Amino acid sequence: MIEARELAKRYGGKTAVDGVSFSVQPGRVTGFLGPNGAGKSTTMRLIVGLDHPTSGTVTVNGKPYARHRMPLHEVGALLEAKAVHPRRSAYNHLRALAATEGISTKRVNEVIELTGLGPVARKRVGGFSLGMGQRLGIAAALLGDPQTLILDEPVNGLDPEGVKWVRYLVKGLAAEGRTVFISSHLMSEMAVTADHLIVIGRGRILADAPIETVLTGGQAERVLVRTDDADGLAAAVAAAGVEIRREAADELTVLGLSARSIAEAAFARGILITGLIPQQETLEDAYMELTGGEVEYQSQQIGAQAFPANEGQSE
Amino acid sequence: MSTAAAPGSRSQRSWAGRPVTFGRVLRSEWIKTATVPSTVILLAVSFAVMVGLGALVAWGIVQLASDPESGPPEGIGQSLQTAAYDVPSAGLPFGQLLIAALAVVLIGSEYTTGMIRSTMVAVPTRIPALLAKTLVIAVISFLVGVLAAFTTYLLAQPILGGSDLDFGLEADGVLPSIINTGTVLALIAIMGVGIGALLRNTAGGVVTLVGALFVLPIIAGLLTGLADWVEDAARFLPSSAAGQLVATQVQPGQFNQVEGGLILAGWAVVLLAAAILVLRKRDV
Repeated sequence: MIEARELAKRYGGKTAVDGVSFSVQPGRVTGFLGPNGAGKSTTMRLIVGLDHPTSGTVTVNGKPYARHRMPLHEVGALLEAKAVHPRRSAYNHLRALAATEGISTKRVNEVIELTGLGPVARKRVGGFSLGMGQRLGIAAALLGDPQTLILDEPVNGLDPEGVKWVRYLVKGLAAEGRTVFISSHLMSEMAVTADHLIVIGRGRILADAPIETVLTGGQAERVLVRTDDADGLAAAVAAAGVEIRREAADELTVLGLSARSIAEAAFARGILITGLIPQQETLEDAYMELTGGEVEYQSQQIGAQAFPANEGQSE
Repeated sequence: MSTAAAPGSRSQRSWAGRPVTFGRVLRSEWIKTATVPSTVILLAVSFAVMVGLGALVAWGIVQLASDPESGPPEGIGQSLQTAAYDVPSAGLPFGQLLIAALAVVLIGSEYTTGMIRSTMVAVPTRIPALLAKTLVIAVISFLVGVLAAFTTYLLAQPILGGSDLDFGLEADGVLPSIINTGTVLALIAIMGVGIGALLRNTAGGVVTLVGALFVLPIIAGLLTGLADWVEDAARFLPSSAAGQLVATQVQPGQFNQVEGGLILAGWAVVLLAAAILVLRKRDV
């Protein structure tokens, strides 16, 4: 289990992680979703102690990561593809990491086979494709048979077969009772891989809920209704906690009522309903809704940064 | 999904890890050092350059001794013998540059390649990894230094024998000089690791250390006439201290071998201590 309390990280004047608190539970895949620069990678680096928090704490299974006597057995981390010396072979890279905890060569060969690196294991990592680099990073993460896995964008650069393999892998690891924390900007991938979602934007947690809850945009139910008497129906269903949106002359979106309740209300007033469609929000919709402001903010930032750069060129 | 089919399963029991100890970190750093081509290449080049330079100096001494025009005048014969005693360590000025470069490259490349993040995740207490790397590099540098000096000694004897300048290992200060050639390289290597870890950059580290070893003495030499303290201070430069550590004879007013060794060790300790302090605090 990973627990962050009021975790914050500032680099100079820029706040990367802004006092986040969350916990990542064992036995399920927890997705970490957010736009680029939202603080996902920084949070993950804070968990394994590569960066020191400006304030707050983060623990893995009750202790700061650096206090564990067998860190590779505690946490397997894929933080960046190719955190590897390019002139060293994949096999020697893994062997060097394994040596710190006396992990056997047998286990090294096992993770090489497991990640499909067999044919290239003795070749220099510098010549690896992005996908192969990712597989090596995952091999290193699995080396210590860790209880907790932290994978930063693991499907980045993988081919469709590799994406499927990672999905199968992380679900299997979670099913064994391990804690799996996986970041991605691929919302569709999260929808099929994650059981639970933590959404981050501009260093703050925007949502922390089971994936179904995020998908339906909280508990609010949303139903698209078609009827010839839109005004009559709107009056019929109007109540506290119910939101009605006029989509077209004969179309309403009703939030906060089940399809059955709407049908019953219409039936009681004798209003004909020609269509009644419960809406499921896609993860993309939910994601855009949650992070929309953040993305806009980022575009402005980029514009602001580009301006002085142009000035510099003209001089 | 069945547990047995799951990858990396605990039930497979093939994982057999143990707590991180300094010995295990040392082994990890040894594997890392031995599995990059730059290590082998730079060590081989250091050895070849030191032996080659030593042989060249031996040849030069013989030429001087057998110069038919001037002939060895009174008194020069004695100093030529002393010069011959210094032949085994004669390649040191260039050897230390190459070893300095090796040390900086080995630590600097951790940062430039991103490998440091893998290292620090495996050894999150950080300091053991730096100390283990330092120890590995220092020991191999020491061995290369001793081996190169001893090879030079063996190679120089037949050359020097032509002018009856050959000598045995028991000659004044020769054996300590051969061994301390290794000591100098080990201490220079520690300085290299310290600077590399502080600057986190291969090129910058090499330039800094080459500057300290090679350029500073030249600048000091140019400024010597301007103030007395320059000459005094210059004696504390790593290159001067290294020269005293391997000297077979100490000139009056110079540091002796032990003092030279302590000064060089001081440089190494200060740089390594600074690297440790910074490594503890800084984000990787």
